Amino acid sequence: MTKTDSIYEKLFFEALRIRLVEEKIIELYPSDKIQSPVHLSIGQEAVAVGLCRHLGPEDWIFINYRGHAFYLAKGGPMPELFAELYGKKTGLSKGKAGSMHLAAPSQGVMGASAVVGSTISHAVGAALASKIKGENRIFVTVFGDGATEQGAYHESLNFASLHNLPVLFLCENNGLAVHASLQERQAFSLVDHARVYGIEAISFHDGFDFVRFSELCCDVLQKIRSTKRPMLIEVKTCRYKEHVGPGEDFDAGYRALADVIAWKAKDPLCIDKDLISRYAPEIMSEIGDAVFFAENSPFPTIDDLLTDVI
Amino acid sequence: MNANTKMKYREALAIAMAEAMDNPHTILIGQGVTDFKGIWGTTTGLAQKFTQRVIETPLSEDGVAGICIGAALNGMYPINTHIRADFGLLIFNQLINLAAKYRYMFGGLFEVPMMFRMVIGRSWGQGAQHSQSFQSLLSHIPGLVVLMPANPQSILQSYRYARKHHKGPVVMFEHRLMYELEFEDKPGAELLNPFGSRIDRVGSDLTIVATSVMVLEATRAADYLSEFGINVEIIDLHSISHPDHDLILNSVKKTGRLLVADTSWLPYGVAAEICRIIAERDPTVLKQPVRSLGMQQAPCPTAKALEDFYYPDVRNIVEAAVLLVRGSGHAIPLPPKQAMTDFYKHFKGPF
Repeated sequence: MTKTDSIYEKLFFEALRIRLVEEKIIELYPSDKIQSPVHLSIGQEAVAVGLCRHLGPEDWIFINYRGHAFYLAKGGPMPELFAELYGKKTGLSKGKAGSMHLAAPSQGVMGASAVVGSTISHAVGAALASKIKGENRIFVTVFGDGATEQGAYHESLNFASLHNLPVLFLCENNGLAVHASLQERQAFSLVDHARVYGIEAISFHDGFDFVRFSELCCDVLQKIRSTKRPMLIEVKTCRYKEHVGPGEDFDAGYRALADVIAWKAKDPLCIDKDLISRYAPEIMSEIGDAVFFAENSPFPTIDDLLTDVI
Repeated sequence: MNANTKMKYREALAIAMAEAMDNPHTILIGQGVTDFKGIWGTTTGLAQKFTQRVIETPLSEDGVAGICIGAALNGMYPINTHIRADFGLLIFNQLINLAAKYRYMFGGLFEVPMMFRMVIGRSWGQGAQHSQSFQSLLSHIPGLVVLMPANPQSILQSYRYARKHHKGPVVMFEHRLMYELEFEDKPGAELLNPFGSRIDRVGSDLTIVATSVMVLEATRAADYLSEFGINVEIIDLHSISHPDHDLILNSVKKTGRLLVADTSWLPYGVAAEICRIIAERDPTVLKQPVRSLGMQQAPCPTAKALEDFYYPDVRNIVEAAVLLVRGSGHAIPLPPKQAMTDFYKHFKGPF
């Protein structure tokens, strides 16, 4: 990574790296070389880099189908990511995962599920095991606002609080579940609801501000480490693209383009042209190498079809 | 077990659980594992000995199954109990979408060794939601091992093997009717494949492939039939997800006749799968069309008068067997209809 001299620049670099990877995915997508549904994180990168800066490989995160940002921010290798998207044998999961099931256990990325809300309880279980073993680690579950409507989310909050488990519940609230707005779905306030379970909950509204969000995460993670209690952060963020796929769908009428334009006007990755031009060449070179690796890797064969079933 | 020792099904489960807890990485988690009934005496006393690792749960089956996956990822061996298999339906998302796929979906990056104990609640009056047998549903899913132990030896052997050697999720369907039954051990059981099917009785005229408590009913039927010169071979299927194809085919090749006796519904079930094996491998081994016995194609009624018709019993097995071996002109009297819950008289409610 380029040597930089401020937290802002470091986090900017990491966030830009994620955005440029996803913009490369958009560029490649019409070629049909990536035959996996992609749920892009563009607009939400600040959350991933702000959090992961404070986590070591031993601190596990459990993510979801919109997982490119967290995979990369947590240290998941980029060439293997592209190979995975290409369905190549050199992908970290040998092409069996694709975009929706990213994992990099050596970096503490413990798997992503496409069934909304279904890895939240995994973080709680890993934390339970950690408590029994007497470890001092943190477990993070990352989910969207839609996942908080699942029963498993409530069950997980209850269990984590009841058993005093070191879990950070991190909700990326982009206000949308596929195309449905919060108003159509929720009769509760996320933070008020978590507090009912005795879980300290914080709402952060400027999800584009990776520096301030990173500071918040630092404080929250420290508190979880010292109290061994779960906490919740709701971070408001903005999904720039369609739910799944490389495009935009503002013409569909389920949300306002003006809202996204207003968000972009505050997003450093959109407005800090100087840093973009400073870092983009180095990042594009890394991306070029990663794509080259994927392009030139072999496909899995029939010999791989029935491995790791049982 | 030593020769001629006797053991109850429940006692074997209690031994299996105690053995499991001796490993500091086992957690035993589920509704009732810490209470005074202790899953009908199979977990009693363990909570006092292993205070951190025997965990009572909120009524959150889905969440707890996910917690088990997370704990397995972090090096524990979770044993998750369901005092009624019906409640286990609430974990199907975690079991099917996650646990069964965690190894394959991530290309071998993860293993989630764990055990789910699901008790088929059938006894009297358990009704539509306290009595169901879901072995076929789960055996349909790649990535799961589904076993139905039919005796204490099978329990001791396969639970130990699952814990020590299997790196994925195993679902154990235990049958409530057998809990208080005493079994004599059989020589050579320790040599069997812990996750495989086994010949429970050698015969020459008819093969009965049976699951769980139906092995006992098939044995009663076989004893009865032997007095009329009919020699029944019984296969205890044991592994529902991975039945031993060669064992089944070779048996039917020898006897030429097949009866399948299962604890669940017939369509798309165990009987259908056994027929698929025979039909695909060599249907010419059959001298007669196959017969199958299972629950009637309806939810389970609560009234005992209806329940007695709902489940097949020894009379139904004898009748099907005689028809297969002797045809409709036989002169063999059928035994009286007698529900298993009446025969295994020790059972009293409410559980």
